[in-house]
Amino acid sequence: MKFLGYILRNARRNPVRSLLTIGSIAVCGFLTVAMLSLFSSADQLREEVKGYDRVIVMSSQGFAQPVPIALKNEIIALDQARGLNAIARRAADGKPLISPFSWFGGKYKDEQLSLFAQFGIDPDVFFDIYTELTLPADQLAAFKARPDAVVVGRKLAADKKIAVGDKFPLKGEIYNYDLDLTVVGIFDGPENRDLRSCYFNWDYLNEGLLSKASGVGANNAGTILIKCASTALIPPLCQAIDQATANSDRATKSQTEDAFIGQFAEFTKDLQTYINLLGVAVAFALLIICGVAMAMSMRERTREVAVLRAIGFRKPQILGMVLAEAVLIAGLGGLIGTGTALLLSKNWDAIAPLTMGFFPYLRIPPQVALAGIAGSLLIGLIGGYWPALRAASIPVVDGLRKVV
Amino acid sequence: MGRPPAIILRQVSKEYRRDQIRIPVLSRLDLTVAEGEFLALMGPSGSGKTTLLNLIAGLDRPTSGEIIVHDLDLTRLSDSQISRWRSDHVGFIFQTYNLIPVLRADENVELPLLLTKLSRRERRQRARTALRIVGLEGREDHYPRQLSGGQEQRVAIARAIVTDPYLLVADEPTGDLDRQSAEEILNLMEQLNREFEKTIVMVTHDPNAAKRATRILHLDKGQLVDDVTRAEPSPPKVAESAASGDPPYVADLDTARRQEARL
Ligand SMILES: Nc1ncnc2c1ncn2[C@@H]1O[C@H](COP(=O)(O)OP(=O)(O)OP(=O)(O)O)[C@@H](O)[C@H]1O
Ligand SMILES: [Mg+2]
Repeated sequence: MKFLGYILRNARRNPVRSLLTIGSIAVCGFLTVAMLSLFSSADQLREEVKGYDRVIVMSSQGFAQPVPIALKNEIIALDQARGLNAIARRAADGKPLISPFSWFGGKYKDEQLSLFAQFGIDPDVFFDIYTELTLPADQLAAFKARPDAVVVGRKLAADKKIAVGDKFPLKGEIYNYDLDLTVVGIFDGPENRDLRSCYFNWDYLNEGLLSKASGVGANNAGTILIKCASTALIPPLCQAIDQATANSDRATKSQTEDAFIGQFAEFTKDLQTYINLLGVAVAFALLIICGVAMAMSMRERTREVAVLRAIGFRKPQILGMVLAEAVLIAGLGGLIGTGTALLLSKNWDAIAPLTMGFFPYLRIPPQVALAGIAGSLLIGLIGGYWPALRAASIPVVDGLRKVV
Repeated sequence: MGRPPAIILRQVSKEYRRDQIRIPVLSRLDLTVAEGEFLALMGPSGSGKTTLLNLIAGLDRPTSGEIIVHDLDLTRLSDSQISRWRSDHVGFIFQTYNLIPVLRADENVELPLLLTKLSRRERRQRARTALRIVGLEGREDHYPRQLSGGQEQRVAIARAIVTDPYLLVADEPTGDLDRQSAEEILNLMEQLNREFEKTIVMVTHDPNAAKRATRILHLDKGQLVDDVTRAEPSPPKVAESAASGDPPYVADLDTARRQEARL
């Protein structure tokens, strides 16, 4: 378009003001796109997890309170006694796919703070339950065979330069027991799973705890992980378990893995609400910033606009040119903000370790990126509308008399 | 009358309104300007010269009366029609040049052509030609701040003539210029009037500038009180023209011919 050159010059007329406007829209656009994407990535993970029909049994008092390991066999018995047959069984040998799932929360080597998750599980069935995680057959065999074995996620291995055969000491923080593990395998999985976690044999931890004179903390499964035979069987199983344990000191809360993750997301849910509210406020502020910047620009150019009108430019053309300038500036901000968010997602691996596995993955969904850019264009359009209309509406004669 | 009238004002009145108070500026004014005429409008400050010029150029509308320019009744045109008419047929020259500071000289001149269907190439070419006519060849890529006042006014004149309008309106075009630059601008306007046969209406406070016109009108208290057709044309400023590098031309001959025609 032939007016573009002129519009671009106008946009660059007051570089500081334009850059400040672009900058504020870029910063807000970046935060909005990144936040929305983070939440959407978490939501997507929960959605995916639903397909695996997994159930997690925890104490009704919360996941910080462990359930006893004895519950595992009670659940198997219950499942059969009630004729539910809800627990999936391994095709090869009919072994029920149920495992303790215990958060260890220790420190790796001499780290002051280890931000990756460590779980005690049953190596025999764990990878049959988490089928999306893959471990080479020989490493899996080694994991099952060796009591002090640990398998680490691909990204954790990369971060800490861990290879098979390495020592993997974990100093107990919650448990008064230090694990002296050896890496026997490195597992992999989809990008959005926590590949910065590690799994070791729950029995190894438990025997260690028992061997200590006090035995404090032993025989606790933490939580119990179950793979169900079908989605339809999840509710009756959960109900049966919770009923059976109700009114005892081991009362449970059984729920799908998706709901379990949801608990952790609960506090971010509130955050999400605040951020959404904040987003509306920020969008409003940006509208004003953009509008005021354009209004100032146009006020300075009152006489010029009058000259253009005298020369024969019509109202809609002036309106269009001013709006185009506003949209250009705001859109540039949106583009930079969204671009930065994309850059962040590309380099998320550098930040992910700090999120303790809660946000292992940041993907900017195309619709969020588009929304970021479209939103900024809209801010330009709406914010620029009033100043544009004003500029176009000043009578030519008055504009020409104005001495600026 | 040898030439058809370019501008006819019939019983034109203009008053401004400010908070219920009516400020009459022009009252029942009649005026005829012939095609190819160079009219100078003089008068005390606040007498309504700019107001009259704005009416003739279609920038403002009269409170009552008719304004006919080249057989077109401006008072009957819609806002957008009158905008289009201005872009096609009127060139504007202002006291303060009013160039767009962020555009180069050639871009400033090209600006009115953006409203036409001309190709980019044609636009560039016309802008260059207009700049050549005003003697600014080689200054195409200068920004207004890199030019002197006189040069800026020439760019403004190039912008005014680039669409080849039949009417040029100038509101104190030399008001901000020193003697020398003013003379150059006036030479240029004279040239546009003679060689390119533009009808020019120029508001000025400067009697020396007014002398360059073919006719001088005085506006006072809303009336055209004095319609002086010059009995004697001003002596041609051949020497000055030569000094400033403009081509000399036979001023008196041309003027004489026109005066004859009018009589
Ligand atoms: N928009 C307006 N509203 C009210 N009054 C106005 C307006 N524009 C002009 N006037 C008044 O109309 C009168 C004529 O103004 P105009 O600008 O035409 O005078 P002028 O002859 O060009 O004066 P100058 O030589 O100082 O430029 C002045 O008294 C002025 O105050
Ligand atoms: Mg005036």
